[in-house]
Amino acid sequence: MKKLLPVLLTAVLVLSAVGAMPYPREMGDMALLRTMGVDQGQDGLLVTVSTGPRARGLQGEREPAMSLSAQRASLSAAALALQGLSDNYVFFGYVDQLLLGEDLADRGIRPVLDYFAQDVELSLGAQLWLVRGGTAKQAIEAGGDQGLAGRLSILRTDGEMGIAAIPRTAGEVYSDLMELGASYAPALECPDGESAPAELGYAVLKGDALAGFLEGEAARGLELLEGRPMTDVLEGWLPGGQVTARVTGAVTLCRLRPGDQGLSVSCRVTAQVVECEQPLTQEEIELFCEQIRAREESRIGEALTQMRGWGADCLGLGARAALASPGVWPGLQGRWEQVFVQTEPEITLRVELCQS
Amino acid sequence: MSLDPKESAPHPRQEPRIPLPLSLENLERAFERCVDFSKRQVYLHGDSGRVATVCYIAGMARTERLNDYVMRPLAQDPMLASVPEGQLFDLLEKGALYAQEAKRETELDPVVLALIEGSCALFFPGRADALVIPVATEEKRSVGEPENEPALKGARDSFVESVRTNTSLVRRRLRAPELKVTEHTVGRQSLTPVDVVYLEGIADPETVARLEKKLDEIDIDGVEATGNLEEYLTDTARSPFPRLAYTQRPDRFCQGLLEGRVGLLCDGIPLGWLAPGTIDQFFKTGQDRAYHWMVASALSIIRYFCALVTLLLPGLYIALVTFHPEAIPVKLALSIVAAKQEVPFSTIFEVMIMLLAFEVIQEAGLRLPGPIGATVSILGGLVVGNAAVEAHIVSPAVLIAVAIAGVAGYTMPSQDFGNALRLWRFGLAILASAGGLFGLSLGCAALIYHLAGLETFGVPYLAPFTTGVQVRRGHPTLFRLPLPAMKWRDGGGKAYNRRNQR
Repeated sequence: MKKLLPVLLTAVLVLSAVGAMPYPREMGDMALLRTMGVDQGQDGLLVTVSTGPRARGLQGEREPAMSLSAQRASLSAAALALQGLSDNYVFFGYVDQLLLGEDLADRGIRPVLDYFAQDVELSLGAQLWLVRGGTAKQAIEAGGDQGLAGRLSILRTDGEMGIAAIPRTAGEVYSDLMELGASYAPALECPDGESAPAELGYAVLKGDALAGFLEGEAARGLELLEGRPMTDVLEGWLPGGQVTARVTGAVTLCRLRPGDQGLSVSCRVTAQVVECEQPLTQEEIELFCEQIRAREESRIGEALTQMRGWGADCLGLGARAALASPGVWPGLQGRWEQVFVQTEPEITLRVELCQS
Repeated sequence: MSLDPKESAPHPRQEPRIPLPLSLENLERAFERCVDFSKRQVYLHGDSGRVATVCYIAGMARTERLNDYVMRPLAQDPMLASVPEGQLFDLLEKGALYAQEAKRETELDPVVLALIEGSCALFFPGRADALVIPVATEEKRSVGEPENEPALKGARDSFVESVRTNTSLVRRRLRAPELKVTEHTVGRQSLTPVDVVYLEGIADPETVARLEKKLDEIDIDGVEATGNLEEYLTDTARSPFPRLAYTQRPDRFCQGLLEGRVGLLCDGIPLGWLAPGTIDQFFKTGQDRAYHWMVASALSIIRYFCALVTLLLPGLYIALVTFHPEAIPVKLALSIVAAKQEVPFSTIFEVMIMLLAFEVIQEAGLRLPGPIGATVSILGGLVVGNAAVEAHIVSPAVLIAVAIAGVAGYTMPSQDFGNALRLWRFGLAILASAGGLFGLSLGCAALIYHLAGLETFGVPYLAPFTTGVQVRRGHPTLFRLPLPAMKWRDGGGKAYNRRNQR
């Protein structure tokens, strides 16, 4: 101990002197940012941040969410400018929601993701949304006094439960862009007036710029291809009356056909009958399965058609197929994008229906 | 100011203590100005030609025994008046007195010490020897329940202040003749008997020898407190961590002996010590073997967890709130921010003040009589704490963190070990205040380094978690196996005969 104590004291003093010791800061003086939006402004990047609802005192008296906005040539400069706009220390360590404006996505989102990867306080674990038809600032301001954090948290939780769009983190999108050259992220509709933002399909990114949006049936098709279908209710009409089924799961396998014949997609969809006037006969089950199959197949087809149109394999279908067909992949790897665009994929879909 | 080496050096023990020949006059001189020293002359069977002098210390000798065992035979036995003078002493020594023992002494020292222990001495005119007969009083506290280690399921007896009663409590549980009890006298003035208890063939003889050697080397005035033994037997100057486990419970003491440890019993102190005291001993309770093994294991893991909580929580709170807020879950962070906004003090100051206040309240509660102490604790803990929070002097999160750390510390079965953790808790909080998690990690590394450097009777203090003794450990330490599966003695890794069952 006699030897250790001087060593410890010396270490503390030396580290203090060189500034390697962390700097203390009181949490009571902090504004904990939850949501960050980045738009392409006229003179640079427009950064908007919001805290979410705040409380004060032991009884937790509610205070309105704090929203700040600054436009500078770079993200670092804008973040620094935000510090000067607040009475509190603006702390970015809790930013777990990132909104990107459509204009910015058109130009490329890579600089923003790079900044998130490198900054000490920010994290690539933040959930990412693209704002369609508007700016991230508009979306954040639409949150009003309550901020947007609560709404986006619910969307994320719903997405994990399968009742909203598949949630994506900035890190997932970042790694997809680097490995696959394409990715996707849930899109938010820019609201009119004071209504809360709502989901509107997915934004597909190619390179690091926006390729287009998948919505409606095409968005459902992307979810089927990803194997994470949103809990969807399908109605069918049988001779015995209307029948309703809920999609409960999907498993999608991709293979490469020999030669340059492209992709073969096999999808197995499971569904459960939730409403029917009387138990279905075997014939009615087969008929209803066929109706579901046709609908889901068209969804997948629609999604694939749009993705091929943009030349963006944002789901990494080629890479997934390579695992199943390792002998075919080496011949296609170098020109996969061309093959993906030019070759019509073969889609096989099977439906498993169970009656409750 | 420097002392003269002659003055500062300990004066040598005088052997014999009273350098005088044995005689009644010299005995009286030794007990000069001692009001409790008593003597009485007795005519043997009323024969004024044959006089015996009985000496004893009032209060140490029991009057009834003195009268019945010594005085009555001396005064009423006709044979004592008729036997030839030369055979009188032998007759008394061999059975004329109704005592369990009658010992002839020829030196003054043992006679003086025997009188102090409650014997009486019989002198005859013209003889240079004396007969010592034990008639000691047995006034002592009766065997009661162990107040500090209550048993819900198990024996309810407890050690008392009499070392001989304590050895009998042990002997009643371990009836094997291999149970050895050796006595050593500690203290120049107190002359306290200290017994080393061990099971021959199971305990490590080296540990026994080491303990006996250290006992013999103790040169102090008296053994009035447990520290008089603990601090001399183990090197406690460099570390607050205890290295002798103690217990009030004879059953737990015997369990330690069965594991191969060496026991220590001291007259006047109602405790038994067990050596070597490795760190796992301070997490065990007497009830561990009484409960179902799953329950005992869960409680054991909780105790280890609580040790970490009491040690680290205040420092961790300071580090996270002051240096690394991003590591706190967002909802908790928001509530901390809300509560902290109206508190004028820094988090570091708040935590340190609350830690100090906690110690002050605890100390005040201990110093006061039981009912008042409990009231002070409740007043301090609830009323003052609540008032401080409402007055925005401390934030509720700090109060909760310090209270949890404090309460977690009370789960330690050993008060000494809990106190050491409390001391280190302050150090870790200070380091966390200086460098956040970096400082806290540095402190933890220093603590592990410190513990790894400790040793208890040749066994590494962390022996259950290290291989320092080069002996394969039989059982896991963090939890207890079913007893039929615990086939090995874990006595500090140095038990002699390690297998304890088929």
